[in-house]
Amino acid sequence: MTRRILIVEDDAETRAYLAKGLGEAGYLVETTGSGREGLYLATGGGFDALLLDRMLPDLDGLSLLKSARAAGVAAPAILLTAMSATDERVRGLRAGADDYLVKPFAFAELEARLEAVLRRPADAAPASETALVCGPLTLDLIAREAVRGDRRVPLQPREFQMLEFLMRRQGRVVTRTMLLEGVWDYRFDPKTNVIDVHISRLRRKIDAEGEAPLIRTVRGAGYMMSAGA
Amino acid sequence: MLRNATSRLIAAYLIAAAFSTGLALGFVYWSAGGVIDAEARQVVEAELRGLADDYARGGAAGLARAITRRLETPASRPEGRDAVYLLATPGGARIAGNLARWPADAAPGPGWVTLQLYRVGAEAPTTISGAALRLAGGERLLVGRDVAARAAFDRTLIRALSWALAVTAALALGTGWLLTRLVLSRIAEIDRAARRIMGGALEQRVPLRGAGDEFDRLAETLNAMLDRIAALVGDLRMVTDSLAHDIRSPLGRLGRHLEAALDETAAPDERRARIERALGEAETVLATSSALLEISRVEAGVGADQFAPIDLGALARDMADLYAAAAEERGAAMRCAAAPGVVVQGHPQLLAQAVSNLIDNALIHAKGAGPITLTARREGGRAVFSVADHGPGVPEAERARVLTRFSQLDPSRGDGGAGLGLALVAAVAQMHRAEIALSDNAPGLRVTLRFPVAP
Repeated sequence: MTRRILIVEDDAETRAYLAKGLGEAGYLVETTGSGREGLYLATGGGFDALLLDRMLPDLDGLSLLKSARAAGVAAPAILLTAMSATDERVRGLRAGADDYLVKPFAFAELEARLEAVLRRPADAAPASETALVCGPLTLDLIAREAVRGDRRVPLQPREFQMLEFLMRRQGRVVTRTMLLEGVWDYRFDPKTNVIDVHISRLRRKIDAEGEAPLIRTVRGAGYMMSAGA
Repeated sequence: MLRNATSRLIAAYLIAAAFSTGLALGFVYWSAGGVIDAEARQVVEAELRGLADDYARGGAAGLARAITRRLETPASRPEGRDAVYLLATPGGARIAGNLARWPADAAPGPGWVTLQLYRVGAEAPTTISGAALRLAGGERLLVGRDVAARAAFDRTLIRALSWALAVTAALALGTGWLLTRLVLSRIAEIDRAARRIMGGALEQRVPLRGAGDEFDRLAETLNAMLDRIAALVGDLRMVTDSLAHDIRSPLGRLGRHLEAALDETAAPDERRARIERALGEAETVLATSSALLEISRVEAGVGADQFAPIDLGALARDMADLYAAAAEERGAAMRCAAAPGVVVQGHPQLLAQAVSNLIDNALIHAKGAGPITLTARREGGRAVFSVADHGPGVPEAERARVLTRFSQLDPSRGDGGAGLGLALVAAVAQMHRAEIALSDNAPGLRVTLRFPVAP
């Protein structure tokens, strides 16, 4: 099924760049540079996700989103902003955004987050799950244990959380910022490569000598967990 | 002196003074006049009753004698000279008294009347107030008071009022003039100083007279404001200069890399490497500008509405946990000494970011020389958070400077930072009204944040 994305962005170059990239990624894209038109299009319905610029000349992204949410538009929305994430993000989420990206961002980051918000409904029912499986690796959510084949993998609590985060998003790119946000609830960019080091430790634990690696590095984007790598 | 504000001030003062003086004397006139009138009336009525008794005892002749006696001894009574009496026949002819004849328009009866009457032997009429009575035998009796006395009292009062008004006006003008001259001279001083500063003499300050009065206090406040502005301007100048350097240099390199990449004769690998380096420079510029933006937003207090209670001990544990693996890889250990219940009001993300900047710095500068210790504890009513390393530390003389934007301890070392990490920490500290202090960890650097604890 082709998913339709609405892009509301007043900068023509960024708009074209996003439209081209998402078009190549297989999305059906509609764009506008006007907030009012964006609201009109969004309330017209039929979009699977909205990409809204925070600052638009006529109607800013936050107000657009609030109006669209008030009009019953439930499609997930990602706000794009040139402003810092640390406090604007909270405002965005209050207005009904599902995620928030600070410009400039890597396209891979946008794609990963877009995938994440599009899949969100599927993640919404994890309560009944008692275990996650990725090929030979099983994560027991009740006993909080990981088992690869017949080998028990000892994990620190944070490592368990990271692995759970990755396993719930199998086959999709998870960026470093998504991990920092999802596992530690921090939304800044540490200068030190803290996430990479955590991932490499996690890898060493779950992939023993000669075993097929389950966590793949996606160059320029982040990590992906999959059994058939 | 003739400037609008001055004349308005004096005029307002004058009007207020005249009004209050007039009001005071007017009240005296009204209340004293009323009392005098009422008293005169009571005396006249008492006299009338007394004379009516004389008539009852001695008849018309006895009454006439009594009246004559009263008129003969005026000096014994204070109101004597003003008193008028008339005993007349039922037809109106005079029997006794000092009035020529019964006034045509005064019918004897109850009530207080004011009349124009002729005294005995007088050519001109006098105004009197009085009361009249018809006696049992048909004779008429009139007792009154000459109003001239009352008029004289009025004149005295009005004269007093006029004098008082004149003196008040003169005083008002004088004090008003003095007051405005005093105020205006001080204002003019401040005005001159402000003009000199606007003219470019930024180091000028408003002069103090040392009187410790309101004007000195105002001048002190203005001077403090000017100091703050001067500091900000200095800051801005420094930031602009640094910006010029830290943005222009990477942009220049970026341009050169792209230019080289355009060279079609170069090897494809070389061109690709150039483009990658150009991308790296672009990232540097972006990182610098985002950091600057973040600092200005924090300094402006954006996000202060998102303050929430934050357990500094939990923050220390979380950050130690986040950095543990990366620190270990660099040969350093993360240590954590967190007391329970050290809670402050703060911005969770900004505080975490500040702590992360401090740990990043410690990892870069201490290069695995001993552990990095995060501490959270209470100390004398304050919540204290510190990050300590065992690196080279910061010389005491440099400690204030490294907290400002674009300041690096040793730019030649080129650790890749733009010198904004600690500036953000300082801005976050200021936003949380926390004191930031750099000290010697013997060896190494200890950065301490002292937060006020929410009541």
